[in-house]
Amino acid sequence: MSARSEKADGVPEQSGAPALALRRIGKAFGQVKALARVDLAAYPGEIHFIVGDNGAGKSTTLKILSGIYQADEGEVLIHQQPVHMRDASEAHRHGIAVVHQDLALVECLDVATNMALGAIPRRGRFMLDRARMERDAAEVLANLKIRVGSVRTQIGLLSGGERQIVAIARAVRMNLPIILLDEPTAALGVRETAHVGDILDELRRQGKTVICISHDLEFVFAHADRITVMRLGNSVATLMRRNTTRDEVVGMITGTIEALDPERAGAA
Amino acid sequence: MSIKTENGASRQAPRRLNAEAFLRPETTLIAVILAIGIATAFRNPNFLNVGNLTDIARAAVIYFVMACGASLLMIGGGLDFSVGSVFTLGGITAAWLMAHAGLSWPFAIAVGLLVGTLAGYANSQVIARLHVPPIIATLGTFFIFTGLCVQITGGQDIVPLPKDFQRLGQGSVLGVPFVVIYAVVIGFIAWFVLEHTPFGVEVRAVGGNRKAAVANGLKVKRIETVLYMLGGFTASLAGIIYAARVGSGQVSAGGSGVTLSVVTAVLIGGISLLGGLGSITGVAVGAILLSTIDNALIVAAVPPQYNTIVVGVILIAAVAIDHVRRERLYRVRR
Ligand SMILES: Nc1ncnc2c1ncn2[C@@H]1O[C@H](COP(=O)(O)OP(=O)(O)OP(=O)(O)O)[C@@H](O)[C@H]1O
Ligand SMILES: [Mg+2]
Repeated sequence: MSARSEKADGVPEQSGAPALALRRIGKAFGQVKALARVDLAAYPGEIHFIVGDNGAGKSTTLKILSGIYQADEGEVLIHQQPVHMRDASEAHRHGIAVVHQDLALVECLDVATNMALGAIPRRGRFMLDRARMERDAAEVLANLKIRVGSVRTQIGLLSGGERQIVAIARAVRMNLPIILLDEPTAALGVRETAHVGDILDELRRQGKTVICISHDLEFVFAHADRITVMRLGNSVATLMRRNTTRDEVVGMITGTIEALDPERAGAA
Repeated sequence: MSIKTENGASRQAPRRLNAEAFLRPETTLIAVILAIGIATAFRNPNFLNVGNLTDIARAAVIYFVMACGASLLMIGGGLDFSVGSVFTLGGITAAWLMAHAGLSWPFAIAVGLLVGTLAGYANSQVIARLHVPPIIATLGTFFIFTGLCVQITGGQDIVPLPKDFQRLGQGSVLGVPFVVIYAVVIGFIAWFVLEHTPFGVEVRAVGGNRKAAVANGLKVKRIETVLYMLGGFTASLAGIIYAARVGSGQVSAGGSGVTLSVVTAVLIGGISLLGGLGSITGVAVGAILLSTIDNALIVAAVPPQYNTIVVGVILIAAVAIDHVRRERLYRVRR
């Protein structure tokens, strides 16, 4: 990884431009102010974690980035261009793949079909190319060293962890430059969690911009380049992993540390 | 990493094939049809006459054509209670244009289908824009369309209809009624769309998990609009076929009875009210079962109330079996 410095105010300085950025994002659902002010900048070739307590606004932020919600205030920038995404297909077009917290799988369809949703392979103009759909799915799963009984297995028959892996594989299959994951290891055992970590590392190696939400700080510290802490709808701070500690991150999550201590952060 | 299936080998084992065959609605339905057929044939051997069997097919056609659109819609998570009135509206529109406006039959049919499709569009917009649940929205439009039909006709049947038009509903080739051929063609198209096009896959996705479909970037609203339009299209098509068969545009044809029969045929055929699951072949067998019961009870001179009792029992059984299927497929927990 290239050498980076941080400015004295704790905002990491970066030679390249962010692939994806949020500026002063605000979002309310009726009376509920889900997001007050969120700033975020994620860079290619980095894994950027978002951490925070339940209800901090992590998923809401991710849904704005994936076109499912629209921000009330602020800007979403992709490659420094402001974009306004009205639905999830526009996020795909902007090069964003997403693994949602609820996985967004259709239980009555099989693994191959779920992996193709949103970009179903065609034969000719109108025909569904089921053979290719199954081949593609099997290939992606094999590349990721994931073995599911058969790509024809219905999602509804899989366990929670198996579904999670399929959802991750689907996002990887899309092979888009930006990939967002909302608690991708929530339902996974130790070995499977490590495997997902390997997948994230591989995505970073390929130069993708990875944004990942997680409550598992061990996982976060094992794979993060950058960590953004959210609390009560605000992005409190963004820290380089190399320059921070778990205690500091925990302090910021819970609010015992108010903001970044500029002195220490500057000492990169 | 390897993902082991929880119940291991049983998922791929032959045991599963048996369970699947049993759970396929067609298997059970065909058994029921045969049982009814044999019982009826014992009471009255005329049941097996070619003429009588053709009658059964002819009656099934009307249900089935409407059920094609209704099935796709229900698999996509929608519901249309207005089909009985759109059936009438389509038949009457075409009949009125031929009898009173002197339009040639191809034009009259085209306009009748257009009106039916627009009725479906109206349904979709009431649901999407006014946020009225489908069951209530289409119940409301059912009454509105029914009223329109009476308004157009003044409550009178529309006659006479051109001979050419009537032949479309009454003719046959090699003993096969035209109407049966229409049903086979429509059924084939519906089956093809559902099983072999990306649209069909998306319909199942929307019906199976609408939120997931949205999150995956499917144009859910557009898909739903198209489905309601298809439902209106096949309902009006059935109405036009019926008008051709009986040789008049009847205000009393259709109505709530037809709506209930179509919804029943679809549910008996194994389409889940919860969306996502079901097949056109199942619905075809469901439509044949309904018309077989109608016919058998007449031929075997069973009192008519038995007809409705039998249909009710089969409907409940079919939906109960649907729950068992879901439990197997999705680990439904209660
Ligand atoms: N669709 C919605 N309607 C109303 N309120 C919502 C909606 N979505 C989120 N909220 C509210 O916004 C706040 C942030 O929710 P969000 O799901 O983003 O939290 P989160 O950080 O992802 O939490 P968790 O760790 O539990 O997943 C919560 O108070 C939640 O109740
Ligand atoms: Mg969340």
